Amino acid sequence: MSNSVIQTNPLREGLGGRAMPEPCTLVIFGATGDLTHRKLVPALYNLAADGALPPTMSVVGFARRDKSDEIFRTELEEAARKYSRQTINDELWKSFAASICYHRSEFHDLAGYESLAVRLAEMDAARGTRGNRLFYLAASPDQFEVILGNLRKSGLNKAGDGGWARVIVEKPFGTDLPSARHLNDLVEGAFPEADTYRIDHYLGKETAQNIMVLRFANALFEAMWNARYIDHVQITASEPLGVEGRAGYYDKSGALRDMVQNHLLQLLCLTAMEPPTGLDADAIRDEKVKVLRSLRPIEGAEVSKHVIRGQYGAGAINGKRVAAYRDEANVDPESMTETFVALQINVDNWRWAGVPFFVRVGKRLPKGGTEIAVHFKSVPPVLFKATGEAVDDNVLVIRIQPDEGVSLRMSAKMPGSSLRIEPVKMDFHYGTSFGKATPEAYERLLLDAMSGDATLFARRDEVEEAWKFVDSIRAAWQANPEDLAFYASGSWGPAEAEELTKRHGTTWRRL
Amino acid sequence: MEAAVNEPGMPVEIGLIDRELGRLWESGDDTKTRASLLNLVIYTEEPEALDSNTEMIATIASQHAFRAILILSDPHAATAGARAWISAHCHLADKGGHQICSEQITFQLDGESASSLPNIVFSHLDSDLPLCFWSQAEFREPLDEQLWTWVDRLIFDSATWKNPVEQFALVQKILSITDGGMVLCDLNWTRLHRWRLALANVFDHSAALSCLPKITRVRIACDRGERVKALLLLGWFSLQLGWSLRQLLSENCFLAQNGKQIAFEILEADGAGIASVELAGEEFCFKLERPDTAGFFHASLHAPGIPDCAMTIGAGPDRPGDILLAELSRGGRHPLFAGALDAIRPLLPDMVTRQ
Repeated sequence: MSNSVIQTNPLREGLGGRAMPEPCTLVIFGATGDLTHRKLVPALYNLAADGALPPTMSVVGFARRDKSDEIFRTELEEAARKYSRQTINDELWKSFAASICYHRSEFHDLAGYESLAVRLAEMDAARGTRGNRLFYLAASPDQFEVILGNLRKSGLNKAGDGGWARVIVEKPFGTDLPSARHLNDLVEGAFPEADTYRIDHYLGKETAQNIMVLRFANALFEAMWNARYIDHVQITASEPLGVEGRAGYYDKSGALRDMVQNHLLQLLCLTAMEPPTGLDADAIRDEKVKVLRSLRPIEGAEVSKHVIRGQYGAGAINGKRVAAYRDEANVDPESMTETFVALQINVDNWRWAGVPFFVRVGKRLPKGGTEIAVHFKSVPPVLFKATGEAVDDNVLVIRIQPDEGVSLRMSAKMPGSSLRIEPVKMDFHYGTSFGKATPEAYERLLLDAMSGDATLFARRDEVEEAWKFVDSIRAAWQANPEDLAFYASGSWGPAEAEELTKRHGTTWRRL
Repeated sequence: MEAAVNEPGMPVEIGLIDRELGRLWESGDDTKTRASLLNLVIYTEEPEALDSNTEMIATIASQHAFRAILILSDPHAATAGARAWISAHCHLADKGGHQICSEQITFQLDGESASSLPNIVFSHLDSDLPLCFWSQAEFREPLDEQLWTWVDRLIFDSATWKNPVEQFALVQKILSITDGGMVLCDLNWTRLHRWRLALANVFDHSAALSCLPKITRVRIACDRGERVKALLLLGWFSLQLGWSLRQLLSENCFLAQNGKQIAFEILEADGAGIASVELAGEEFCFKLERPDTAGFFHASLHAPGIPDCAMTIGAGPDRPGDILLAELSRGGRHPLFAGALDAIRPLLPDMVTRQ
C-alpha cells in the first residue's frame, strides 16, 4: 500500500458482509410515534449490537412534544427492551443512547429546521459525521409536504462537501396516482431520486429476498417458471385482526390501497419479473417496472368481473365474537371501505401469457399469513387415468410470513399392493434450518439506506405504475359503490371471491 | 476407558443405527420434525469432552440443524471395542408446541476399532448433505486419504495444539490430498472474526482510512497461550495492508509497500484471548480492547482530521458453541486465513513455544 490516498478499506476485503456505512446522522421526523418505538429504535440498537452501525453515527428525534434528551432516551430504552429481538446489553445501550438526542419543533416551523441545521453542524464537528444526513419521514403522511418543504427551505436537503443527504419515505406513497405524483414531485423538489428511499418493509423480509435466489439460483425452478408449465399463481395476505387502532387511516384507505398497491404488487413483481442484468438496484427495479407495465388494466365493467371487494361483518375469530367493521370504533357506520379484495391479474408478456395471478388480501380471515403459491400444470391425464386415481398438481409455496419458508407439494405412491396416489409435501422452514435470529426487515432497510443501496426500496416509476393499475379499479368502484360484498368475520371472505378461481377451474388455497 | 463414558443416549447396535433412528421418529408424535442441513462429525480422544460436546450440540442445534456424529476414540486402548448410542436434541419451534429435532449418533471406538473411523463416518452420513469434520484431537500420520477426500469442511482449533508448527504442516498435507477442495476452518481464526470486523468498521471511516498507510507500530496483548491467534491477526494485517516480513538487525519487522518499517510486538496480558490491539503512526494512535469476558469492544482513535473518538462495538459471545455456530452459519471459504497463515508461518517456530 503506497502513501497515496486509499479509496477502499483493505481491512474490509474478504470479511464478508458489507462495508460499514459512512458515519451519518439519522433524523427521525415523528420520533415520538409508534414506528420509532416499535421498529426503528429496536432495529438501530440491534444493528449497533451486531457491530453493523458506524460507531460515530447519531440519531436525532424530531417531534412536537416537549421533552429532554434524557426523557427521550429513557422512553426509547423502554421500547427497545420491549420490542428488540436481542436482549438489551446495558453497556451497549449506554453507548448507543449517548448518540441519541431530541429536537423539539413543530413540523411547520421553519425556525425549528434552522436550529436543527445548527445542531447537526455541531454534531458533525463533534462526531465526525461529515454532513451525511438521513432523514426518516416517520410522521403522518399529511405532514410530508410541510416537512419536505422546510427541509428544502432550511437547506438541510443539500449534502455538505463530500457528504450525502437522503430521505426515507414511509408508505403510503400517496392515495392515488395524482397524489403519488404530487408527493413524488415534492420529494424530488428536495431530494434527487437517487437519494430517495421509499420503504416497503415487505421487501426487507428474508423470504421476499429469497424469491430471487429461489428462482435464479435453482435451475430446477427457473426452467419451468413460465406459461408452459405454470397454470396460475396465488398470492395471499390474510390476517385475523380487524382494524385495531388504525381505523382512522384504514377507513379512508381500504385493502386495495393499503396492501395491494404496494406489498402485494411488489411480491407479484418479484415472482413474475425477468432475470435482471445484475444485482444493482436499478437493474432489479427496471425488471419490476416492466412487470407493472405488463399488467393488463382492469377497467370499467371488467372490474366487477375480475375484482371482488368485501367488508367483514360480525363473526368469530378463535372462538371469540368480534364486531362488524362498521361497528368498530372510529369507523363510519355506513362505510363502504373494503377490508377484503380478491382479484385476477393478467401479466401480458411472453412469459406469462394466459397465466392468471390470483391475489387476495383480507382482514378478519380465519388465519394469518402471507404467501405466494405457484400452481404447476397437470400432467397429461394418460398414465394413471385407468386406475381412477386423481393426481394433484405440483404447488410451490413461498411463505413470506409467519413461518418463513418454501414447500413443494408433489404426488407419491402410498405404500401397499394397490396403486394409490397421495399428495406429499417437502418443506423448508427458515426457522428450522437457520435458527430464529433472523434480522428484522427494518434493520436491513435502514442499513441499506445508510449505505446508499436502494435495491429493496420502491422507485418512483414503480410506485406510479402500481397506482395507475389500482386507480382504474377504484374508479369503477366509485362509479358503482354498491358493488361491495359482505363476509362473516372468521370466514375466508365473500362467496363471490370463489367465482374468480372457479372460472379458471381451480380454488383458493387453504392456508 | 470402560467407565469413562456417561450414557449419551439410547445404546444401539452399530449395524442397526439407521433402523433405530427410524424407530425413534416413528415412535414420536406429530409435533416433532427432524431437520438437518449438514453432517457434523466431532472427533475427540478426550473422554470428558463427550459430555461437553453433547451439551454444545444440544445448544446450537436449535440454531443450526444437523446430524451430529460424535466419536470418542482411544486408539491406544488395550482391548478393541465399539459402542454406539443415539439421541435427539429437540427445541420448541413455536408457541404451538411444535418441536424441531436434530439427531446425534455417538460412538466409542477403542483399540483396533479406532481404525474403523472412516467406515463409521461413511456409513452414517445423512446423504447429499455436506460433511463438516471437527477434529478435536491433533492430526497424526499416516493420514487416511479416503476419509479426508470425503470431508467438505475440516474444522480444527489451533489454540489447542501442542505443536502448531507440525499441526499446520499436517493440515497443509490434508489440503493437498483434496486438491484444495476442502474448506479449512480454524476456530482460532473464527474467534478473530469479530476483532477483524471491529477493526474494519473503524477504518471504514474515510478519515481513519487515511491512517492505514501511516502505521509504523502494531502491538497485540494476549494471554500467553494465545500467541497463535495474535500471530494470525498480525498475518491478516500483513496480508490486507501489503506488508512483507523482513529481518533487520536480527529483529523481525514488516515492510510496507511505501518502504515504511512496521515494528510489531506481542505482549503478554492476563485474561482469555486477545486483550488489545494497538496501531500507531507518527500522528495517530488507535486502540481496540476487549475487557475480560465483556460482550463488547472499546475502541479509541486519535487521528488528524477527525475529533478524538471513543466507541463501544458489539463483540458477540465467544463460548465454544457460539464460535462453532458462527463458523457453521457463515459458511464459505476462508481465503484470508490461508494468506494470513502464510504471512506469519516463518514466525511460528520462534514465537509459539509451548510448555
